[in-house]
Amino acid sequence: MSIEKRSLTLTINGQKVGPVDAPVGMPMIDFLHDHLDLTGTRFGCGQGICHACTVMEIQPDGIPIETRTCIFDAHFFNGKTLITIEGQAKRDEHGEVSDLTPIQQAFIEHFSFQCGYCTPGFVTAATVFVESLKRQPVKRADLQSRIETALNDHICRCTGYVRYYQAVQDVALKTPGCVID
Amino acid sequence: MASGINRRDFIKLGTFAGITVMFGRLPALQAREVHSGAQTSEWMAPDGSVKYRWDAIRKVTGEKVFARDFRSKNLPGWPEKQAHGFFLKATDVEHAFDDIDLSMLGPDLQPDRVLKHADLEKDGVRVPELADLGVGFYGQDFLLPAGNTAPLYGHPVALLIFHDFDRFEAAKRRLRFETTAVKYGRKTGLIQPPNYGAARYVRIAGETPSAPPAFAPIQDAVIWGDFDGDTPTWPKADPDGIFVPRSVLLPHRGGGGVRDPLKVAQQTDEPMRRGMAAAGIIEAEIEAARNNPAKLVVQRQGFSQSIDPSAMEPDNGNAWYDASTRTLHVLIAAQSPYEVARVAAFMVKDNKRFPVEKIELVSGTTVGYGSKDHSIFPFYTIAACFYGDGLPVRLANDRYEQFQLGMKRHSIEMDLTLVADRKTGKFEVLKAFYNCNGGGRANFSFSVAQVAATAAQSIYYFPKSDLATAAIATAAVEAGSMRGYGTLQAMSITELLIDEVAAQLGMDAIELRKRNALQAGDPNTQGAVQLGDPRNLEMLDLASSHPLWLNREQAKVKYEAANPGRRYGVGFAQVQKDYGTGADTTALLLEFDAAGKITMRHCVQEIGTGATTAQQVMVQRLLGKAPDIAIFGETNFAQLPLKSNFEPFSITQEQQDELARDPFWVPAILPAMSASNSVYFIGFGTRQAAQFLLENTVWPAAQAIWSSGPAGGQLASGYMTAKDLRAVPGGIGGGGMAPIAFEAIARKAHEMGLVTGVALHCFSRWQWARADFEIPGLGIKNLPADAIAVRYGDAAPESLKARMSTGGYDFIKRSNVQFPSAQRNNAGVTTYTPAACLVELNVNTFTGHVEIMNHHSLLDPGNIIVPALVSGQQQGGIAMGIGHALMEELPLYGDGPGNGTWNFNRYRLPRAKDVAVWTQTATYLDPLTETSPPKGLAEVVMIPVVAATGNAITHAIGTRFYHLPVTANKIKKALML
Repeated sequence: MSIEKRSLTLTINGQKVGPVDAPVGMPMIDFLHDHLDLTGTRFGCGQGICHACTVMEIQPDGIPIETRTCIFDAHFFNGKTLITIEGQAKRDEHGEVSDLTPIQQAFIEHFSFQCGYCTPGFVTAATVFVESLKRQPVKRADLQSRIETALNDHICRCTGYVRYYQAVQDVALKTPGCVID
Repeated sequence: MASGINRRDFIKLGTFAGITVMFGRLPALQAREVHSGAQTSEWMAPDGSVKYRWDAIRKVTGEKVFARDFRSKNLPGWPEKQAHGFFLKATDVEHAFDDIDLSMLGPDLQPDRVLKHADLEKDGVRVPELADLGVGFYGQDFLLPAGNTAPLYGHPVALLIFHDFDRFEAAKRRLRFETTAVKYGRKTGLIQPPNYGAARYVRIAGETPSAPPAFAPIQDAVIWGDFDGDTPTWPKADPDGIFVPRSVLLPHRGGGGVRDPLKVAQQTDEPMRRGMAAAGIIEAEIEAARNNPAKLVVQRQGFSQSIDPSAMEPDNGNAWYDASTRTLHVLIAAQSPYEVARVAAFMVKDNKRFPVEKIELVSGTTVGYGSKDHSIFPFYTIAACFYGDGLPVRLANDRYEQFQLGMKRHSIEMDLTLVADRKTGKFEVLKAFYNCNGGGRANFSFSVAQVAATAAQSIYYFPKSDLATAAIATAAVEAGSMRGYGTLQAMSITELLIDEVAAQLGMDAIELRKRNALQAGDPNTQGAVQLGDPRNLEMLDLASSHPLWLNREQAKVKYEAANPGRRYGVGFAQVQKDYGTGADTTALLLEFDAAGKITMRHCVQEIGTGATTAQQVMVQRLLGKAPDIAIFGETNFAQLPLKSNFEPFSITQEQQDELARDPFWVPAILPAMSASNSVYFIGFGTRQAAQFLLENTVWPAAQAIWSSGPAGGQLASGYMTAKDLRAVPGGIGGGGMAPIAFEAIARKAHEMGLVTGVALHCFSRWQWARADFEIPGLGIKNLPADAIAVRYGDAAPESLKARMSTGGYDFIKRSNVQFPSAQRNNAGVTTYTPAACLVELNVNTFTGHVEIMNHHSLLDPGNIIVPALVSGQQQGGIAMGIGHALMEELPLYGDGPGNGTWNFNRYRLPRAKDVAVWTQTATYLDPLTETSPPKGLAEVVMIPVVAATGNAITHAIGTRFYHLPVTANKIKKALML
């Protein structure tokens, strides 16, 4: 048994990666961690169940979707555009965080996480969700159940979810056009 | 000893009163938490309130904070390249391990190094065995010797090391679920270690709760047992020769309570036999009650299941042996980095093949709920690194491996009998047996088993109690020091039983609890009296007047009418959980420079609870400014060159008195992050350090500033003392004075040559050690610390600066030290936090599914440091408790996690929809006064919801469940009956 490698090219956090030879069959999360040193995307189960490993995939029409990286080969993402947790906040010329996204800001102000291991996945899911509301607003009465539907796959073992969900609700309510009466 | 390290040889400094002092010969240890250090202060508002966690931005932006995030190239001084390893494990515990077969990997994916038991044995790399942890604490072998049968499912048999990641990853993927790589030979049947121990706590009260008892563990003896097979045996009441128990281990968290069974048998043979006679009296009373219509006797069997704590960061570590400098570099995910360093030193000491003179340990932010406390995993990492051919070796479990190798919460079989008076509802007797399945490594199983038994009473007073427990060895995956530490299992079943007793008495379940709740001064089942007012009645009153409880019958009728196929229920439970270990320590250094920059180096380790945030808030509340630089997970304070014999639980008074003469000796050095110990015990040192600087530095500096200028300044015409000082936004004020920026205070303090830094160490054995310290310029100070060092300001006289020769500090040798007496080791736990929960749910009668609709929690947290951190702990604990009550469960043996096929697809964890995420509420009792200390609560918050959920299900469908979890299948079966 040997390692088959193929050329891989994709865009991550606005930077072109590749073409680079990557092993066929290697999960994307391992490629991120051990080939690109992007370790903010967290390994949880390796089965696509806990959603700790999700990143944003920007579709050709610009719409972001949430994608798991532990169950897909790195080559599944060939030619695609991804934003990992490292690419969410704005950074200055020294690489220091200058501006958090509204979701990140809400998470820290709501004390949403404790150990923080699952946080990158929650940032991804909540960001994709709020972006979806901008395109298709939700009625105020339905907001909580929509948040549940959007985030329920994400496992957090520390927090009981309350402060994550409250933060997302807060962002949705404060973001113009997301919630209608 | 398996390790070949004889403790007496290892310790060279000398022997004092029979106790050898060893720290001096340990390799130099250094550990600190990765990525703590310089920081912005934006996380804290000027008024001292916390805007967000200190570590929030690093975590929310995905920076490297966990040990798992780091590779060798990310660690300064480590090589650029690194190796990776994984285990092959035995999944057959009835046949001898023969060999491994890696032919399926082909030539290209063969490991660069295959490690087996014989390799480790040849090189003297052995499982550390420390006398203070007991026999077989970490098991017998790292890798199973050929010809031996695995003592537990999932025992590693070989370690495969690869020098590059791609081959490692491909080989690991190929071997996942591969059943032919490990070969077995002859059938041997199960071969397990001896059972870990048995103990029994018997108490018969005197005339009143406060009268001297006829028998009590504290007053007389704990009864230690032996085994006949897996059945505990006990001394006979009538002497027939001395009875030597299997093992004697005081139930302290963190180890250190090991005693010689023969010696204990000789010392306490007579009281143990009296205890058995007392147990006989209790048994006779139960039998008499069964025939007495005025008494109610309820006997039930219960079971609390094995669970995986499922910390989202699986176990991992990275280690590098630098042979050229004889330095062992270790990066590890651990809740107790100090313990890892200490045990690692034992493990490598005197190894001729891989000589180690220095260990440098770094730890990451981590999470474990107990699973990363005293785990064997760090030592596997260290063993592996000797075979990296110069490269660091990284071990990182995937989730299958984590289920297979990671520590579990103990499953416990229980048998309880409760006797109550039918007329008064007063409890008279509690008799119980707890059979605690420890799996195939000893770890803390015997300690957990004892804590389960001693927690059985929950919040109630029992005039008579007989609580026996056994920790048995099985082939199950190892169980250890998990959140709740035995109390969750025991108290959950007790709280389910209380509801049934109430029903049989025809009494409201909370009213019955009120009649029996422990009140201030009441002894527990060991005879100990807890610190302060338990506040149980206050909490029960609040619960009984809550609308969920008051309206539950009307709500049931209404809900069920509106929702056919659903049954509505409300349940309640209340518990109390201890915090602290009985040998709690804390150490830190707090100093500032002339520009007002505050630096704190602290032993506390972040495990997700926010402890590193809270410690800084404590400083801000006293000094008006949080640290500018904070370093956590520190294990090496050069300013405090302390030594210890690490036997705080088993030391005699004479030994302690003699050792205490040495001002560098302390009973224990640094804490593990466990036992909900951070806010009160570890924070105690933080508060003392800040208070010391406030009184001895800030006050004289502020006085000088406020007294400057014409006519003696603003202070002259008033009267103010240090007690009037207050932290105000931006600095220090109080007494009506104009606030002073901390920077100005710092400048003045340095100009005046005052003390500008303090390093201290504190120790509590359910009472804080105190000592006198003669500090130049300050006189003799009596402080609740056992070691202190100070630094003097820039303008201090040379004579003072010359004293700063211990890590840049002046180590002040203590006098008149008063360590808490050794007798307090028998006092049992004294610090408790009560918590209660009301659960509202419905049961789907078709599927058996339970929907938690709402819950309301009650908690007494004392004076809260950071409210959002407390409620976050409580909300998270509730979710974990719901998982234990309804869904999480692991089979113990062949079809359990040790077989390597378990993951989150089969192991169901609570999601947001399961925990009433939008509707849940909580009430926190106001502290009794502003001086009430903060209370440890990270464990207790997950416990009452377990039984409250069970009691609510009973309210919904009428069936009582004593076997957890109460799954949909069990409910469906009950509904079909």
